[in-house]
Amino acid sequence: MMLKVAAGDRRAFALLFDRYHVSVARFALRFVGDRERAEELTQDIFVKLYRNAKSYKPTAKFKTFLFRVATNHCLNEVRRGEYRVEHTSTEAQEDEGGLEVAGGEGDRPDQALAGRELERAVGEALKAMSERERAAFTMCRFEGMAYRDIAEALEASEAAVKSLIHRATLAVARKVEELQTGSVPARSRA
Amino acid sequence: MSCPYEEDLTAYVDGELAPARRAEVETHLGGCAGCQGTEALLRRTVASMAGLPEYTPSPAMRREVLAKLDALPPTLGERLRALLRPSVLVPAAGLAAMAGLALYTAAPSEPVLEVADAGTLELAMNLEVVEDYDVVGLENGEDLEVIASLHELEVR
Repeated sequence: MMLKVAAGDRRAFALLFDRYHVSVARFALRFVGDRERAEELTQDIFVKLYRNAKSYKPTAKFKTFLFRVATNHCLNEVRRGEYRVEHTSTEAQEDEGGLEVAGGEGDRPDQALAGRELERAVGEALKAMSERERAAFTMCRFEGMAYRDIAEALEASEAAVKSLIHRATLAVARKVEELQTGSVPARSRA
Repeated sequence: MSCPYEEDLTAYVDGELAPARRAEVETHLGGCAGCQGTEALLRRTVASMAGLPEYTPSPAMRREVLAKLDALPPTLGERLRALLRPSVLVPAAGLAAMAGLALYTAAPSEPVLEVADAGTLELAMNLEVVEDYDVVGLENGEDLEVIASLHELEVR
C-alpha cells in the first residue's frame, strides 16, 4: 500500500490514515500531554509520511517505519520549542472534550475516578522522564511493540531500549504506587 | 545498592529476555526478596495500563489532513504525470508535429544549378580539355577537328 502512496495514490493514503491515525495520535498525546497539540502533530506526521513515502523500504515493518517518522517529528518539535510537554490535569482535558474514560458511560463512577487518577499519575511520570524513555515506554505499553521494533524506530540498540523501558516503567510504577498508597495527595500535585 | 538483576526485570515481565537469561533471572528471583517485590510492582503497573482512559482523536482530523495534502505543491513526478496525460500529450504532440512541418517547408532550399542546354553541360564536363586548348592557343576549327580525331589517326 505504501508503494501506492509513494505513487501519489490518495485513496491508499486515506486507508493507511484510517488504520493507523489513532495509534499515532495516542503516541503524540502521551508525548506532549495535550490533545490539541497531539492532533496537530498527528496531522504533520501523516503529511510527512505522504511526502516521504518513497523512502519506505518494503523490507521494514510499516508500523516501525511510521513510528520512526512519528518519534523523529515529536522529538524535533519538542526540541525546537514548538511544543512543551504539558500533561495537563485530566479535569482540564475533560473540559476540552479530550479524554473519554475506558468502557464508556456504563462504567461505575469509582472506576472512572480510578482511571482519571491513574491518568494523572502516568502523565506526571511521563513528564518527568527523558524524551527517549517516554517514546520507548509509549510504544511498548500503549502500542504493544516489541523491543526489537522499538529499537528500530528509535535507531537504538535493543539493549538501550531494554534499559529505557525499564527505567520508564519503574518511574511510572512508583508514581502509581504513590497514588495507590496515598503517600502524596493526588490533588496537590496538579 | 540495587541488585544486578534488577535491570532485566521489566524485560522479564515483558517476555523479552533470551531463554538462557530468562532462566537465570527465574533462578535469581527464587532467592532475592528485593527483586521479587520489584517484579510484582512492575507486573501490577503493566496490568494497570489497561485501566487508563481511552483517547479518541477528533473525527475532523482526516478531512484536515487530506486538505493539507491538497494544498501541497505538486512534486516533480506529479507535474510530469500531469504532462503525460493523453488529454494533454496528444494535442501537444500534434502541435509539435505541425510546427516541425511548417519549419521544414518554410526553410530556404539550396541553390540549384540551372543548365541552359546540352552543349553547356558538355562544356562543363570537359572544362579541363578546353583550358588545355587555350594554353596551346588552338583556335582554328580544323586543328580542333584533327585533335578530336587524333585517337583514330594513332590506330592507323
